[in-house]
Order: sequence, then structure tokens, then C-alpha cells
Amino acid sequence: MNNSQRPIARKNGLVVQEVPDEVLVYDLETNKAHCLNQSAAMVWRSCDGKNSVSEIVTLVEEHSGSKVTEDFVWLAIDQLSENNLLETQLTSSFQGQSRREVIKKIGLATMVAIPVIASLVAPQSALAAASCACNNPTQCGNPPNAGCPSTVNCNSVGLCA
Amino acid sequence: MSQNGVISDQALEFKLVFESYGVRVKLKAVSRELLEQASHAANSALLGRLEIVDNIDAEHSFGFSLDDDSETLVLLENGERITSDTSVPRFFRFFDSLIRIKIAENTREWVFIHAGVVAWKGRAIVIPANSFGGKTSLVAELVRNGAEYYSDEYAVLDGKGLVHSFPRDLSIRYFDGELREKRVDPGTLGGRVGRGEIPIGLVLLTEYKADGVWNPQTLTAGQGIIEMIPHTISRRSNTEFSLKVLNTSVSNAIMLKGPRGEASDFAIEILSFFDTYIELTQN
Repeated sequence: MNNSQRPIARKNGLVVQEVPDEVLVYDLETNKAHCLNQSAAMVWRSCDGKNSVSEIVTLVEEHSGSKVTEDFVWLAIDQLSENNLLETQLTSSFQGQSRREVIKKIGLATMVAIPVIASLVAPQSALAAASCACNNPTQCGNPPNAGCPSTVNCNSVGLCA
Repeated sequence: MSQNGVISDQALEFKLVFESYGVRVKLKAVSRELLEQASHAANSALLGRLEIVDNIDAEHSFGFSLDDDSETLVLLENGERITSDTSVPRFFRFFDSLIRIKIAENTREWVFIHAGVVAWKGRAIVIPANSFGGKTSLVAELVRNGAEYYSDEYAVLDGKGLVHSFPRDLSIRYFDGELREKRVDPGTLGGRVGRGEIPIGLVLLTEYKADGVWNPQTLTAGQGIIEMIPHTISRRSNTEFSLKVLNTSVSNAIMLKGPRGEASDFAIEILSFFDTYIELTQN
């Protein structure tokens, strides 16, 4: 791990919504919705290309009033990078430890909530709106009818089934 | 009516423009009769919530024509042929579904979430779900147990995050040699249709599982919203507004996620739970 790296939070193609204690991010490029808890959001906001990882540790400590480790910040950066929320991908090796081991170690060492990013892919079109109405088999299996019982058959009453 | 399969705009000489949920749509047809059928279908699809407007400009247009055999109906969207059918009911059934999605996708002032909605003691229970997830069965059971019917298809949210009813008859699917669908008036379930705008009190993210046991996870606002996003029709076309409205709408709601068992038992359990929750939060 290189703690002198200065990560930059991605801004383009994202819609951000502040929710109490969380931040929602919708990625228009991947149709992924992310929910950053307070810790992950704190790190993300500190990724301005000027702060090094070591400096982000200090900022998080000031903000939370508790001690955090560099692993804590790297855990957030690791997830931010994995979810394409940073301008450049950064990889943390955690010095041979798995993410699970790091989480366990951080959990014991800090009072601050472990950074977590929950993500969900939303279908590109309104899959959820599928009424399965069709008058042609080609309308089945494609948005908005991609979630219907049949992807190849439009039955005699006009349902993809 | 068409030459080499191409339908000229001049052929679609009968026109009208309507506005629904702030979206203007032009209907164009080759005959007055076909325009009337299209207008009737749109009116029915949108529960009469449309207004004919004089302005001839519209963001979207649908054309209704006939193929050279004069028996095949042709549907055009913004000038492009999108489908054709010899069955009139099936043709308009497809248009019925399409026009609602278009309005829901393009409205700038409302947010449509694909969800069942009932009201209980002045608060909405919203059940976002994919099709074939048991949403209608659950809505029907909640209505049978005294909840007011708001919608089987969309939770319609205004800019303040309040839910408005969209009470199309319930669409109950059944198997009769092949999958079919019938429309059921909520009145036949002993239910009343709710009319006013109400806040969301409970969001249920649940699907029927044969061996499902209701042991839900309580979600934070953010976790709940990302679960609702895939069901939000305007999430791509009006992302910022959609997220803002979702955020406002769930600010006083509890959001539960997990599989459930039979709708009949679950409906009773959930209304009893919601009663207790309302009592606790009011005191």
C-alpha cells in the first residue's frame, strides 16, 4: 500500500443525493446505485486529489472524533475503486490479508462504523415496469419485458408467456 | 396506406394532442375512427387523467395506421414503426401498456414507482416489486383485510414525496392452458379506493416464496432507496429529481426486506405490525 497516493473522487456521470447519515450515488454509466455509509462517504468526500491516504486518516479522525487506522481508509478506498467511484483505480493489497481479515481487525481497533458501500444494478430500461404485454415475440426478452415468464413467446392473449 | 412499408406523415391526417402528468403526447391516425380508438385507449390507460390541449407541439407522438391489407394495424412511435397486429384488442392492449410507461418515463413533475400501494390509517404501504413477484396477490389480500386500494401498478409520487392513487383495476394473472390476465374491480374484494395524497409509512420489499418465513431486515433510508431505484421508472430520464423525491418520500417510513409466505396470512400479520408501529410512532 502506498499511503502517499492522492485519490480523486469521480464526479462525472454520477448523481449524488445526501440522505441522513448516508450518501446515495447513481452511476449513469453503469446504472448502478450505491449507498455509502457515513464512513465511506467521509473518505469519498476527502478524495480531492490533494489529500494523501495518511492525510485522509487525519481528516476522518478529526471528523469522527475517534482514532482510525490506514487500513480503515484503504478499506473505503478499495470499495470506492471497485465501484468505479474514483477517477483512477487504486488497489490495496492489505499486505496479504483478505478484506474479511482487515474488516475484523478494523472492527476491533476503532469505534467508528466500518466503511460500507452497498450497491445494486438497476436494469437499463424499465424492467420493473414489465407488464409483459406484447403482440410480437420480439417484444419478449427485451426491455421492458425482459422479466416476463417467456422471453421468446407472445401468447394468444398478448402476454410474454 | 403505406408505400413499401413506409407510412408518410401526411397520411396520418387526423390528430390530437393530450397532456398527462405534464407530458404532451400527439396521437395521429389515418382515419377519424382509428384516432377515436387510440384516444379512448389512452384515456383508459391513464384513468382519464389526461387533457386534450390545442397546442400542436408535443414531445412524443404515436401514429396509428393500417398496412396495405387494410387489416393489420400499425403503431408508430415518433415516426418509427414499432409494431403491427391483426388483433385489435391485442394491439390496443400493447399500446395501453406502452403509453403508461412513456408517461411515467417522461414526466418531469412526478415519480412513478412500479409498486402495489394500499393505505392504512392515512399512511401508504408501498410494495415495489418486479412483475410475477406476488405483488397483486398481496395488494388484494391487504384490501380484503380493510386497507384502502391505491394501486396495483404504480406508486405515483408528487414533488413532496406524497403518494397519489392510480387505481386501475387489479390485474390478476391465472393459468388456463396458457397464462391469462383478468381485471378485478377492488370493490369486488370489499375494498374502497383511496383518493387523497398520503405519506409513505411502510415500504415492503418482499416476494412470495413457497417456504418463505417473514423475518425481515430493517433497512436504512439509503439501503431502502437503492432497492427502490430499479422500480423507479424515471431513474434514467430524470435521475436527480427521482432520487430527491424518493429521499423525501421515505423520510418517515420504515422499510422492511425479506421473503414472505402466503399473502393471506402475511397481510394480516403486516397490518397488525403496522398498527403497532403507528401507535408507537404517534405516542
